[in-house]
Amino acid sequence: MRLLQWAWLGLISFAAADTNVTHESRNILPSTFKPPQHFRNVNLVRNINLEKSYPRETINVVVENIDDQPQSEYYLPFEQGTLGRIGGLEAKDKKEPGRTGFTAEVVEIDPYSPTEYYKITLPAVLPPKEQITLQITYYVLSALSPLPAQIGQMDKQYVLHTFSAYAPSSYTTLKQKTKLKLPTADVPDVTTLPADLNAEGKEDPQKQGTTFTYGPYGEREAGAIQEASVRYEFTKPLTHGKLLERDIEISHWGGNIATEERHWLTNRAAVLKNHFSRVAYQQSAYYNPPTHALKEMRFPLTAGSVDAYFIDDIGNVSTSRFRTNTRESNLEIKPRYPLFGNWNYGFKVGWNIDVKDYVRHLKGQSNSYILKVPFFEGPKQVEGIEYERIVTSVILPEGAKNVRFETSVPLVSNTTGLHRTFMDTLGRTIITLTAVNVVDEFRDRDLIVTYEYPSSARFMKPLTIFGGMLVVFAFSWVIGNLDVSIGKKQKTA
Amino acid sequence: MAASTTAPTASTASSSPMAFFLQGETGRNTRGLLRLIILCTIAAAAVASRLFSVIRFESIIHEFDPWFNFRATKYLVNHGFYAFWDWFDDRTWHPLGRVTGGTLYPGLMVTSGSIYHLLRFLTLPVDIRNICVLLAPACSGLTAFASYLFTSEMSDSPSAGLLAAIFMGIAPGYISRSVAGSYDNEAIAIFLLVFTFYLWIKAVKVGSIMWGALTALFYGYMVSAWGGYVFITNLLPLHAFVLICMGRFSPRLYVSYTTWYALGTLASMQIPFVGFLPIRSSDHMAALGVFGLTQLVGAAEYLRSQLPSKQFQTVIRSAVLLIFVVAFGGLVLLTVSGVVAPWSGRFYSLWDTGYAKIHIPIIASVSEHQPTAWPAFFFDLNMLIWLFPAGVYMCFRKLKDEQVFIVIYAVLASYFAGVMVRLMLTLTPVVCVAAAMALSQILDTFLVASAPTENDADTKQANGTPAGANGSIADKLSSALPDTLRSTKSPLVGIYSYLSKSLITGAITSYLLLFVLHCTWVTSNAYSSPSVVLASRLPDGSQHIIDDYREAYYWLRQNTEPTAKVMSWWDYGYQIGGMADRPTLVDNNTWNNTHIATVGKAMSSREEVSYPIMKQHEVDYVLVVFGGLLGYSGDDINKFLWMVRIAEGIWPDEVKERDFFTQRGEYRVDDQATPTMRNSLMYKMSYYNYNSLFPAGQAMDRVRGSKLPADGPQLSTVEEAFTSENWIIRIYKVKDFDNLGRNHQDATAFEKGNKRKKTSAKRRGARVLRVD
Repeated sequence: MRLLQWAWLGLISFAAADTNVTHESRNILPSTFKPPQHFRNVNLVRNINLEKSYPRETINVVVENIDDQPQSEYYLPFEQGTLGRIGGLEAKDKKEPGRTGFTAEVVEIDPYSPTEYYKITLPAVLPPKEQITLQITYYVLSALSPLPAQIGQMDKQYVLHTFSAYAPSSYTTLKQKTKLKLPTADVPDVTTLPADLNAEGKEDPQKQGTTFTYGPYGEREAGAIQEASVRYEFTKPLTHGKLLERDIEISHWGGNIATEERHWLTNRAAVLKNHFSRVAYQQSAYYNPPTHALKEMRFPLTAGSVDAYFIDDIGNVSTSRFRTNTRESNLEIKPRYPLFGNWNYGFKVGWNIDVKDYVRHLKGQSNSYILKVPFFEGPKQVEGIEYERIVTSVILPEGAKNVRFETSVPLVSNTTGLHRTFMDTLGRTIITLTAVNVVDEFRDRDLIVTYEYPSSARFMKPLTIFGGMLVVFAFSWVIGNLDVSIGKKQKTA
Repeated sequence: MAASTTAPTASTASSSPMAFFLQGETGRNTRGLLRLIILCTIAAAAVASRLFSVIRFESIIHEFDPWFNFRATKYLVNHGFYAFWDWFDDRTWHPLGRVTGGTLYPGLMVTSGSIYHLLRFLTLPVDIRNICVLLAPACSGLTAFASYLFTSEMSDSPSAGLLAAIFMGIAPGYISRSVAGSYDNEAIAIFLLVFTFYLWIKAVKVGSIMWGALTALFYGYMVSAWGGYVFITNLLPLHAFVLICMGRFSPRLYVSYTTWYALGTLASMQIPFVGFLPIRSSDHMAALGVFGLTQLVGAAEYLRSQLPSKQFQTVIRSAVLLIFVVAFGGLVLLTVSGVVAPWSGRFYSLWDTGYAKIHIPIIASVSEHQPTAWPAFFFDLNMLIWLFPAGVYMCFRKLKDEQVFIVIYAVLASYFAGVMVRLMLTLTPVVCVAAAMALSQILDTFLVASAPTENDADTKQANGTPAGANGSIADKLSSALPDTLRSTKSPLVGIYSYLSKSLITGAITSYLLLFVLHCTWVTSNAYSSPSVVLASRLPDGSQHIIDDYREAYYWLRQNTEPTAKVMSWWDYGYQIGGMADRPTLVDNNTWNNTHIATVGKAMSSREEVSYPIMKQHEVDYVLVVFGGLLGYSGDDINKFLWMVRIAEGIWPDEVKERDFFTQRGEYRVDDQATPTMRNSLMYKMSYYNYNSLFPAGQAMDRVRGSKLPADGPQLSTVEEAFTSENWIIRIYKVKDFDNLGRNHQDATAFEKGNKRKKTSAKRRGARVLRVD
């Protein structure tokens, strides 16, 4: 029962808000666990897209049930170090993209086990001998490492990506292929695999423009690994968000939704060989060559956003521009200094928006509201940004109850609590949602929160403040009328 | 007289419905309410006029010292009061550290900490930074109110207090230290100063223990807030002493002074930084002496009232004098023997303006310790400065106990303000009060005085007193012309006429308006720059912010080890501590002159000398401020001579100021600069790589206005780590010891030599060919 309650639903999280309850998300299985060999991968094509600063892997696999029972749990193995960096793992039916009900969750076995698994649960059991075509996508964070690790300020940056030429699988794979999509043709090093591994006798990889293909390979047993790596030019920042905290504060009185995002960014790009040279940097400003430094960021906000600000620990940063009109709102910010490899930058951005743009009255129910906001916004960069952890908090008005939320971003935990601010007496309902390993492609994903906000709660605060003032006045009147003088009071003429 | 008082009452009561609100009990209430509203408006104006920097820039802490106060406040808020009290700060004065809890005036931090906790209690999420930024304006509103109370004790005029309040609210002399963001001790101290004086005057007037105790309480608060409390410690005894000398000793004075001294001294000793100073240092001896004197005089007065014999009185008087002389002699003896600390150096510099320059260069190097230039008085006080003597004169006309206080205060504060720019701050309150008294006298004379009626004139003439020029003219006119002509009844000339009244009020109003204009202008232009952020105008008129300081400090904060030690000149110590959050070697606290001189020596010596000093002090980064590219004149090269002087004070053999001047005695940075100058670490770090920004040989220093040598300086022991956008801040990383144990000059030479060897090898090869 408990386990069921804890288990979060990978694609669609739907939870009722209880006060101060944290929902944890891990299933713990015995350490001797091995995925039962119920399935067989008939055909598998894996695409590794390296155009951004994080690889996106898409596995299209035809899965066949070879057991005599109907099965619905498909396991995907990852090496222990890798699993913590996998994000946004989603599965769907390739032939029926609209079909929902696939869930993916981490299966925790043993801290010392070399392999960990994602468990993908099919929406319906797969009868024996039946096949299904799964499309599994996920991102690997912190996967690219610059090589050489130290470069000059104006040098090109090369990054190394290490992967297995065989797709990760807990099942026997009959036929498979791995395709790499690189952003450039400047690829100084790539692992070549001997032709005898290849089913068609070709030497891997086969190049076609910026696409490199390994395979096809014949039958490989479960867990087969063939290490390979590719080193290619990527003179762009490897922006890595260590933490993103996002607060959404709803005020029905003020008719406003205030959003604040706190970012802690670091650039995983190559470290400067010599120290930073301002002369070289200023000279390069004229012709603006590609660089591994993060110079600016652009936040496309919801149209109608106003009062944007950009500050950091020591105050306002004046190098930002906020353009807003009826169609779009863009916040363009420049950090105080360009972020070279291994440099950090922490900052806050925030803005306001009319409550009507995000909150609707639920039809039929007089006091129910529905809020639809992006789960996170963050900057949108051409080369992409990855986030280790995103903590989104929604602060609902004081007295809001029956809070339910729904999002398609895979969450690891959610908490409901109380938050006291701006002369609250009871405190506002706050839901805190945590997601790990998210990339900026998820910035369109919405968070939907429904809540009840009775009109009696609306008038609680003015009445409390009125009562408070009344008490203060009464108290001071009583104090003022106390006669504490020693001796007789002299009558003034 | 009866006719003159009843007549207007009757006429106004019948003519206007407003009369109900202006007469009698209701009238008093109305006036009270009006006064309250006016005071609130004044407070609002005082706050508003200090917000220029917040509106133009942002809510930011200004300048240097406020950054320390801000940091200390954050420490107090985060760690609690006891941790703050026992705070040993190992992130400043590396490697010595600083007993911060015991060497600061905690009043300011505790005040904002309490406000913070109060707001938290009311669940108002106000950032501690905003509390700190807005504390000074808020206190200035209170100061305006305090000066209203203070002046109302001085003058009977209803307008004097209000005028003093508005003067105090917007006088630039006070605004200079209390704009939003100027989170310094003075922000709160001036309010406490004026309020303590008010309580003191009240105590002397009433002679009640309660007011005396309140004075002591606020005096204790003042002691906890600002080192300038010594001013009160000496001014109140002086007031008492002068009153005694004037033969105005009274039980009121006795009660208020003894109450204040006993409780106030106890209160002041609770501050760790003050501790036993009130009984150990010369600065506080006057208060103790006057305390003894009051007891003696009190005893003598008592005896005199009991024993009316004249001879006995003389005996007592001589005894008093003898005891006083003996006590004074004892004090001198104690001072000489060292039990009582002699006057502090800063105090000497108040008497002899040249003292600091010779003995304590570190005090003299601070710009706010310089003597005041005379235009500064007009700049900071405008028309108040010429109303001020008039106000002091008014005090002499009605010289009661409280007026004596104003006179003494005026004399002392004027002197001190002339000696040190910074003490303009203590002068401002008395100037405002005195000017308000003078101005209210003028306004009362012209606005309130009503024309005596003819009956009045008749009675006066009958009594033989001349009824003034216009009265007589009116009489002559009325005798010469028939009564039916209405114009003759209210003559156009004379001080009672509307013409003269409107002329005078018009003139005063325009003066006041000009004063407001001046104050606004000065505040906006001179006192509202945060100095952390610089502003310039782009060609299209829009504001461009130069934010190099924070750029570099934030870089340090984000991209260096949290324990990386930063060496810079002491001016930037507090800012580095506050914004970059990194340990510093020296800061604006300047408690250890030798340590500052060490940094001065490292900056002004050759690299071979500086490197061991930096290594011994575990310096990781060196920060210099360079304004050459932007023409920012407050940079380190311009401050460099002070570093040299301070270092010379400790190592006269190693650092010599003369070596930094050319043969002709010029301080130059171009190719005429002396070798000592060009080899100093400061010079090298300032100009390193600078000439590569310009075409060959064209490098210009826009502050000194000189062309730099074609070859830039070479650095071997430090390497450039970061330079801010406009080159204002340059940060260098101190290299680690060489791997092969060479010194860095050799290592650098070797690396360069490598290349040279290659070229020479080629040449040698060519020679070999030729020989063959």
